[in-house]
Amino acid sequence: MSAEEKDEQREAAHHTHKETTGRQRLLAGLWPPRISRAQLIVALLLFGLGLGLAIQVNSTSDKGALRGARQEDLVRILDELDDRTQRLEEEKQRLVAQRSELESSSDQAEEARKQTLEKERQLGVLAGTVGAQGPGITLTINDPQGAVEADRLLDTIQELRAAGAEAIQINDVRVVANTYFSEVDGGIQIDGKKIAAPYSFKVIGKPQDLEPALNIPGGVVQTLEKEQATAVVQRLEKIVVNALRPAKRPDYARSSSQ
Amino acid sequence: MIAVLGLVVGVVVGLLVRPEVPAVVEPYLPIAVVAALDAVFGGLRAMLDGIFVDKVFVVSFLSNVVVAALIVFLGDKLGVGAQLSTGVVVVLGIRIFSNAAAIRRHVFRA
Repeated sequence: MSAEEKDEQREAAHHTHKETTGRQRLLAGLWPPRISRAQLIVALLLFGLGLGLAIQVNSTSDKGALRGARQEDLVRILDELDDRTQRLEEEKQRLVAQRSELESSSDQAEEARKQTLEKERQLGVLAGTVGAQGPGITLTINDPQGAVEADRLLDTIQELRAAGAEAIQINDVRVVANTYFSEVDGGIQIDGKKIAAPYSFKVIGKPQDLEPALNIPGGVVQTLEKEQATAVVQRLEKIVVNALRPAKRPDYARSSSQ
Repeated sequence: MIAVLGLVVGVVVGLLVRPEVPAVVEPYLPIAVVAALDAVFGGLRAMLDGIFVDKVFVVSFLSNVVVAALIVFLGDKLGVGAQLSTGVVVVLGIRIFSNAAAIRRHVFRA
């Protein structure tokens, strides 16, 4: 406050003692332009100031904050950047390792899933839970006099299995590992399901093996013909075994692997 | 008038030419500019007060610049350059403000 008061006193003194005010002096200095020694020297100094100002403004706006920074700050910034780079590099390596790990594990999982599916299909063909198709033969047994008994059919199945049959269907019953034949009231039952003549076998396997196995002298076909039944074997490029049976989960037996 | 022209020409030349500042001078340039600004405001105030003397202005201008640069240089050598230059800028800023207040009173009568 005292400084302001002093200023005001000084101003008041100027007003009383001299006619010219500060504003008038300023205008008089500005216009008309006079070339005096004082003006020239001041102009030279102000030129230097303007130059420095412009250079400084340029350099700070040009290259960001680093331009005007001092040495220790630059060293600190550099250190921080190095640290940060190192940290980021480590993080990158970690992430890359994680990624490759995940990729390989997902590849493995996919492979395992494919193998499991394949295995499921193969086992499904054996267990009769899925349909099967492929080359094979059909065997049709006509039995007008009802002379064919269950054990004859069982013999036929055995013969086909020995010849490499992979999937067998009699009429609409799938024949699997635990299939059984029985005779009830003169009729034949397979797995408790009654079937009647003509018995139509659909067998998937190598036709060149299956057909001779049935046709050999003293084999299935001859035996059946002796019993007044007729058996017709036909090779086909495509047999479809589409009779299914439900998948049964064993109550007691568990896989011992794993 | 010539003085104002000098300032304008200096700014224009600085912007157009974009001279490379030598690395030795670079840290002192901002402080020197602020110190020179202080001297200019002081000179303007003196002119409005009617006590302007060109010799005093020249000496104060140059000494301001040199002393400011010297303080920063010393601060750098002592390892407190950043703090010291902040201090110099604060002091010069206060002086610029008080000079600007006096100038304002002359020009606007308020």
